[in-house]
Amino acid sequence: MRLIGYLLPRIAIALITTLGVSILVFLALRFIPGGYADILLGPFVTPEARAAIAQRYGLDQPVVFQFAHWLWSLLQGDFGVSMVTQKPVIDEFLRRAPVTLELAMIALFVALAFGVPLGIASGVAGRARGGFGRVIGAVGASVPDVVLGSALIFVFSVWSLWFRVGGYVPFSEAPVENMRVMLLPGLTLSVFGVALILRTTRDAVMQVMTEGHITTAVARGERPRDIIRLHVLRNAAIPVVTVVTTYFGFLLSGAVVVEVLFSIPGIGLYTFNGLLNRDYAIVQAGVLIAALVFISINMVSDILYAAIDPRVGTGNRR
Amino acid sequence: MSALRSTGAALGRLMREDKLSFLGLVILVLLVLVGLFGPWLPLGDPTRIAAGPRLGPPSWAFPFGTDELGRSYLPRVVEGIRATFLLSIVAVSITAVIGSFFGMLAGYFRGVTDHLVARGADILFAFPAIIVGLLVAAMMGPGQISAVAVISIATIPLFIRVVRSVTLSVAGRGFVTASEVAGATPWRVMIVHILPNILGAVIVQLTYAMSIGMIIESTLSYLGLGVQPPQASLGSLLREGSAYLTIAPWLVLSAGIVLSLAIMSVNLVGDAIRDAIEPLKGRTLT
Repeated sequence: MRLIGYLLPRIAIALITTLGVSILVFLALRFIPGGYADILLGPFVTPEARAAIAQRYGLDQPVVFQFAHWLWSLLQGDFGVSMVTQKPVIDEFLRRAPVTLELAMIALFVALAFGVPLGIASGVAGRARGGFGRVIGAVGASVPDVVLGSALIFVFSVWSLWFRVGGYVPFSEAPVENMRVMLLPGLTLSVFGVALILRTTRDAVMQVMTEGHITTAVARGERPRDIIRLHVLRNAAIPVVTVVTTYFGFLLSGAVVVEVLFSIPGIGLYTFNGLLNRDYAIVQAGVLIAALVFISINMVSDILYAAIDPRVGTGNRR
Repeated sequence: MSALRSTGAALGRLMREDKLSFLGLVILVLLVLVGLFGPWLPLGDPTRIAAGPRLGPPSWAFPFGTDELGRSYLPRVVEGIRATFLLSIVAVSITAVIGSFFGMLAGYFRGVTDHLVARGADILFAFPAIIVGLLVAAMMGPGQISAVAVISIATIPLFIRVVRSVTLSVAGRGFVTASEVAGATPWRVMIVHILPNILGAVIVQLTYAMSIGMIIESTLSYLGLGVQPPQASLGSLLREGSAYLTIAPWLVLSAGIVLSLAIMSVNLVGDAIRDAIEPLKGRTLT
């Protein structure tokens, strides 16, 4: 019962946010210079053709009706049609989603594999001896993906080593080849996450270390390893889970620049190319999908909270 | 005011004792000075074509090498520093005004106002910055104004959340209640009593928003959606240089290293200010 009381308002908020997001995205497309008919038909349009298009797409109706119509199509999975290929854009997005998802998973894995242990080590070492965590955190959070990606591309196109730049192959066809292509972009995307997770873990651990129950455990003579495992990590996990879910939400769309840099055919590159081709249906769908993914991931993180923190929903949470 | 002075003293102590913070401050001051006085420094003319060889490597005469038109790259990077800083400062100022206003409104009035502002922030927060950049570029065309808009859209929700939570804690304190009992209007309470007390948090957020702004600017300009050539920003220089990445890597590397240093120095100074204001509080900006 307490869980329903905790989750229901959050689901309601997610729905409101979704509605707001779709209104903004819908309105944004209305403001594109030239209007829909001009984009579709090019600069030399007869008034009749313009009227025909307006009627066909319902542009002659009040905006509210247009929005309702658009939203209804969305709910049925219709995200619009590419002006270039005249095919539903959602099919292309679904086809490319696994690529971006793989990229995001690699980045998340690397970020967790380095960020959490380094953060714990640096947090437990404390202010005096944990400086390495600060340096890694400061550098990692400050090098933009573009810069790091370019540096990696330079290094690995001069000395190929084992990696490859460009020439994507699906994982299902050739897993090893796929990794040769995907590891570098994944690594590029992960560095900000390493810094973010490291800093959050470090702060959380340092915060927990100052609390009374740790002193008590030390006084009881518990082994340091057990103190960290049983008392520190469980309490430090909550802010880390928040930041990990937020990071994952951003990853799926932060992939744009990495996909462009490394020519990885994911949804980010597809949306970007949609913009270059003035295929606005693709841009619109891309923005909407990114926002929806972000909202859904936040929902999942709220549910995770309830699983990790027994105080959730009981009103005893600080 | 005394609170401000003690914060200043704590900041000074931190800068003296902590090497990393001090390093950040030194780099930031250097970059700002170079950005401000760049045109008057004897670095060479950024626009002079064929000043040296095409795509020449770094040398004494051209410390950052030369670009494809034989322009010296160092003065161009200096121009880029100026543009990137200016653009981010403009965007973050807009964010600070809008974000502080709505954050204070939500934190002070609470109730329905709070809900409305929070939902608005949620909606903006759901859009990832670079994706918004694509949409804004579609609407307004690529350019500096688009970049400023994208940075503001991305940082406003973060700002609102922080200002709101700080306002909530300040609004519950005695002097605010005293002022309300004495009959002060809400606006007076917010401006005279709450604003000075949330200023520290605002400044810390300002530095974080600034570093986010610089990352967004460079990414958008790299993608061709922000600052357009021939104007130089650190991001547009990255874009220009990336065409010659394998034959003239110093172009991308010099702009990229300067950009990373700039972002890092802003972050380090922000961390130092935060530690001086609230020594044990966790980081607020994700």
